[in-house]
Amino acid sequence: MRKFNRVFAASLLLFVSCQSLKEEFEPVFTGEYEQPAAYKKVTMTPTHTIAQLAATYKVGSPYTVQTPMVISGIVSTDDQPGNFYKSFYIQDETGGIEIKIGKNGLYNDYLPGQRIYVDCSDLAIGMYGYKSGNYGGMGMVQVGFRDLSGEYETSYLVAPLLIDSHVFRGEIEGKLTPEVVSFSQLPNGKTATQATNRNVGRLVTLKGLKYADETFVLLYLDSNKNKKLSSNRIFISDGTWGITTWAMSKAKMTEYLKSGIWDNISVGNAGDYNYGKVGDDKYKGDGSYPGIEKAAYSVSQYFRMYDGSSYKEIQIRTSGYSKFADKQIPADVLDGSRSIDVTGILTLYQGSIQFIVNSADDFCYSDTGKSIYAQ
Amino acid sequence: MKKLLFIFIMALLCSVAAAQTGGIKATVVSRAGRTAISGVKVSLRQGVVTVADVNTDAEGRFQFDNLPDGSYSLELSSPDFTGTQVNVIVEKGLMRDLMMVTLSPAQQLSDFDESNFTEFDLSDSGYSDAPTILYSANDVFNNIAGYGFSAIRFKNRGYDASSQDVYLAGVYMNDALTGNTPFSLWTGLNEAMRAKDTTVGLESSDFGVGGYNGLTNILAVPSSVRKGWRFSVLSNSALYRLRLMGTYSSGELDNGWSYAFNVSARLGGNDWVKGVYYRSFAFYGGVEKKFGTGHRLALFAFATPGQRGAQNASTQEVYDLMGDNFYNSNWGYQNGKVRNARVRKTFEPVVGLKYSFTPNDDFSANAAVVVRTGKNGYTALDWYDAPDPRPDYYRNLPSFAYMSDDDYERYDSEKAEWMKYAWTQSGSSFDNYKHINWDRLYNVNYNSAGGRSKYVVEERHVDQNEISFAGNFKWMIDRNITLLGGLDAKWNRTENYKVIDDLLGGKYYVNVDQFAERDFASDPIKIQNDLDYYLAHGEAQKLQKGDKYGYDYYAFVQKYDGWLNGSFTSGYFKANLAGKAGYDCFWREGLVRKGLFPDNSLGKSAVKGFFTYTAKASAEYDLLGGHRFALNAGYFNEAPTFTQGFVSPRTRNTLTENLTTKKTFAADFTYQFTNSGYNLRATAFFTDIKDQSDVMSFYDDSQHSFTNFAMTGLGQRHLGVEIGAKAPLPVNGLSVSAALSLGRYVYTGTPHMVQTVDNSAETVRDEDVPYWSSHPIYKIAGYDAYNKPIYDQDAQGNYIITGYQQHFVTSTPQLASEIALNYRGNDYLFIEVNGQYFSNSYLDMNPLYRTTFACSGPDGVLTPAEVENMASQERFSPTFLLNASVGKSWQLAGRKYNLGFSLEAKNLLNNLCVKTGGYEQTRLISSSGRDRYYRFDSKYFYMTGINYMLNIYFKF
Repeated sequence: MRKFNRVFAASLLLFVSCQSLKEEFEPVFTGEYEQPAAYKKVTMTPTHTIAQLAATYKVGSPYTVQTPMVISGIVSTDDQPGNFYKSFYIQDETGGIEIKIGKNGLYNDYLPGQRIYVDCSDLAIGMYGYKSGNYGGMGMVQVGFRDLSGEYETSYLVAPLLIDSHVFRGEIEGKLTPEVVSFSQLPNGKTATQATNRNVGRLVTLKGLKYADETFVLLYLDSNKNKKLSSNRIFISDGTWGITTWAMSKAKMTEYLKSGIWDNISVGNAGDYNYGKVGDDKYKGDGSYPGIEKAAYSVSQYFRMYDGSSYKEIQIRTSGYSKFADKQIPADVLDGSRSIDVTGILTLYQGSIQFIVNSADDFCYSDTGKSIYAQ
Repeated sequence: MKKLLFIFIMALLCSVAAAQTGGIKATVVSRAGRTAISGVKVSLRQGVVTVADVNTDAEGRFQFDNLPDGSYSLELSSPDFTGTQVNVIVEKGLMRDLMMVTLSPAQQLSDFDESNFTEFDLSDSGYSDAPTILYSANDVFNNIAGYGFSAIRFKNRGYDASSQDVYLAGVYMNDALTGNTPFSLWTGLNEAMRAKDTTVGLESSDFGVGGYNGLTNILAVPSSVRKGWRFSVLSNSALYRLRLMGTYSSGELDNGWSYAFNVSARLGGNDWVKGVYYRSFAFYGGVEKKFGTGHRLALFAFATPGQRGAQNASTQEVYDLMGDNFYNSNWGYQNGKVRNARVRKTFEPVVGLKYSFTPNDDFSANAAVVVRTGKNGYTALDWYDAPDPRPDYYRNLPSFAYMSDDDYERYDSEKAEWMKYAWTQSGSSFDNYKHINWDRLYNVNYNSAGGRSKYVVEERHVDQNEISFAGNFKWMIDRNITLLGGLDAKWNRTENYKVIDDLLGGKYYVNVDQFAERDFASDPIKIQNDLDYYLAHGEAQKLQKGDKYGYDYYAFVQKYDGWLNGSFTSGYFKANLAGKAGYDCFWREGLVRKGLFPDNSLGKSAVKGFFTYTAKASAEYDLLGGHRFALNAGYFNEAPTFTQGFVSPRTRNTLTENLTTKKTFAADFTYQFTNSGYNLRATAFFTDIKDQSDVMSFYDDSQHSFTNFAMTGLGQRHLGVEIGAKAPLPVNGLSVSAALSLGRYVYTGTPHMVQTVDNSAETVRDEDVPYWSSHPIYKIAGYDAYNKPIYDQDAQGNYIITGYQQHFVTSTPQLASEIALNYRGNDYLFIEVNGQYFSNSYLDMNPLYRTTFACSGPDGVLTPAEVENMASQERFSPTFLLNASVGKSWQLAGRKYNLGFSLEAKNLLNNLCVKTGGYEQTRLISSSGRDRYYRFDSKYFYMTGINYMLNIYFKF
């Protein structure tokens, strides 16, 4: 028995130490880690220009790309100031297009000025913002993924592997210089797309814009509830309603609300004003409009680009989550005494021009050429 | 039973039938096998004077004759057994026959570090976690539960770990801020800290009145360390690969000096959880001098510098994708090497000075001062305006793209497949989707404008400076009455802050509050973490490695108390009355001015003070033959902790509203039988806790904001029994032991919560949490086509409540049991096989899910389906585990050296599906109709599969 014990113990010992020793060959590293190498820049050969890609799209017929289709372009947008969100635009000589990635902080991985290649096979091409009829028109052709919910023509890519196997990073070529677009070069929203007007979707500068004394904001009583319900919506439009900023942060929105200047605005969609007025909610509780959700809101400020006496309306739409949301539009711009030059992405929404800037630096006085926020 | 009766009668006879001259005799046997032990040195002492020394004979017998009446103490020592001390009173010139004195083999199987529990990361949950029951008194139940139940994270009697009082050299050491047990301070110093006094449940000790969950006093002085040299090598596969330890103790030298040291290193990873590793060292040194008549002065110091990688909980979806319940999302490859983002880095030295005065047998007094200082850091990824870098972030999971239930509005089955593919493919090109992608974090920083890091590793510090004092005395007024008393004081100042640990390839990081920036992007004042710096420099600080940022404040805690404990002994009856009264206070002192709260963040807060008290009574009756009956009861009025006292201590001085003391009534009744190797303890206990508080912070989807959630009025009721038994079997050396803890621990009452927005301090909700301690069960009328219940309504349209589902205290099995077969041979061989069964364990509950607003959804209409989904509690499946161990030691060179080993194999059946804990997330998902919320998936920790621990030791 004694001998057996010894042999048993010794063999157990041996077995366990061998196993331990083997694993000890992979000790845990706890020293200073070496810095990883910089990513290698990809080079690919595009098969299509952006205009060619856009031309493959037929209105109302989003489709999944089955054939080899590689486009290339430089990143023209920057989601750092927060006016672009979850996607970026790339542009080549023929046009610009939005790549719907679906992640925050994209400028960290896809730098403004960086060449991007998109292998579109198995991705979806569709349009956002098309509306038929007399008051409608074209929207924007986009690259994304099939939207199985059926709500939009494309959806965001979201899945990391899906993104990395279709969107590739090339050289950082430097930030783009915007081209100046004249009145006559503006797209006709009834017919123009990225396939037919090279300025659509590209970073451009529009000169001599004058304020049109009009804003548009859509508030929700409770964004956790159905946003499409008429009873949940407040339209602030037809006039400025005291709004003198590009957009409204949560704090700014609360400030406007509490000032009482919106008290006479009706709740509900046009033609369905059966839900009282904004002011009705004021005196419930502590007088802080408890029934209306305080949140950040996007604001559209309308400007006009003139050619003699005729003009086109340019809607400058800014997100409430952008870092310059609450910046005041200077009084001399609001009162029409000075006009501005604006740089941004020229997009179409239901046939109208919707202009989206990257940052507050994109607004300059026409007369001096300097930023309206220069010190 | 027959045998028990026989022993009982024998014991009675022996104590009566003794007509010899005054003396003491006994047989020394091994505890387990009842085999006689020869050569045990027995010292007979009267007070401090050694009267005589003898060695036991071949049959283990010893005898002292011709002793005058009086109190004696016997000290038994043997190199192979743990020494013990027995107090004996010789009266009326009779020979006291102690029958059997048992000694435990010195080779302790349970050579584990009490605080070596895997460092779980529960920071997302607002809950802290601590090791389970941690004492192992000379008691079968505690021996089993203290070690054998630790892997399953058993909590003694269901109590929170902070209820266990831990003393060091007589000084109360529980964490001043959280109340948690402080074992991490001396982890790795097993030998130096082995000697301890423990009490169970409501019992009082010589060092304090104690609470209701036992009191452990670690002696920590050099004279308590086992004499001689001792070296050990330990390898285990569940936590760290290797432990090396060396110890020396001089014992008490002729000149009255004793000294000891203990050093250890714990290194490496384990077989189960990647990224978890140890690189920890431990040092202990102490000197002690006995001088004059009964004076002793001891000075000791220790520290356990090192670092260890932590584990993180993930959802079952992630574990299933990985095919591994031990997946750890905390690490990733950097240049091919595993790097853990969450590393605990500690260096917290402790110095103690203890003075004891024992002028005579009837009186002793101690005074001790313990100082702790140092740094305690815990790293984590921090990022600014960049995507969440955690691989298991919910947006990277298939469930974010697709759910089979349309009500979630997640239809993207194809994207879900892409995500699933990335998670399930093996090969290095997929590692970056399953683990932290360090290469990407560096590349983002390389490309960032001006070199501003977007991702950094931060180190959160909780640096304590504490001085504690304890003075106590023990006075045996006469043979019947003993009085104990003492005074305690503790001053603690803890600095909470974080520093940049690694800029990850960038040049600097910026000290702004990105959560404030979400709401106040265009307000440069409000987004400042350090407003005064901004005002002085015109910009937020550009941070370098080691710079403090984010938050920086002192937590001050002071505790004072005095206590008295009187015991009355008469024959076999003992009664005890004890009381404690004290004052606790705490306050915050902000060290930076926060942009969001310029008037309420810098400088001192109000001081919050609480009067505390404890009252205890006990009665005990010892019957001849080893029977003991004890009844204990106590009432405790305890102060809330600092962490419960502030709504958002990182940002401001605001105290929690309606903060009050926690009130506990507890009682237990014990029957114990110890004789001839038979050992039984059965205790029934009852505890009722009221007015507990809790504070947590989380992102509330319904508010679109980070919020603080302060709860008051939490109650618990614990009822149960614990039984430990051990009996010898007919085969020599073989015995069977068993332990059972069976309880019903429930939440009681309706707590109240105040929810405030962290960025504005605005109160958004101030209401009860109705579904915390139970939720209604609604009558079901039938089931629809999808097998979803249709709930019955009465004539008025109200849902019909048929009863209430009780919610149970979480994070411990309410039924824990073990049966073990032990063999202990005289040739220093032991073998043990045990089976364990655990059940009635519940997942930690998040109070948000038990509020009216979470249960009624965005539409505010409460339905049974919502309550059932949101408020119900998850019970873990029952578990059976099989474990075995073997050990043996050899005497070498004529007993001069001793070499031994123990090998333990746990979870032999390799059960990989044992949930040991976790938490519910606090996020909410709106339904497609915006009429209800759904929960986020819960996160879990699992117990490791089959694992071993081998310990080889050499001593002389």
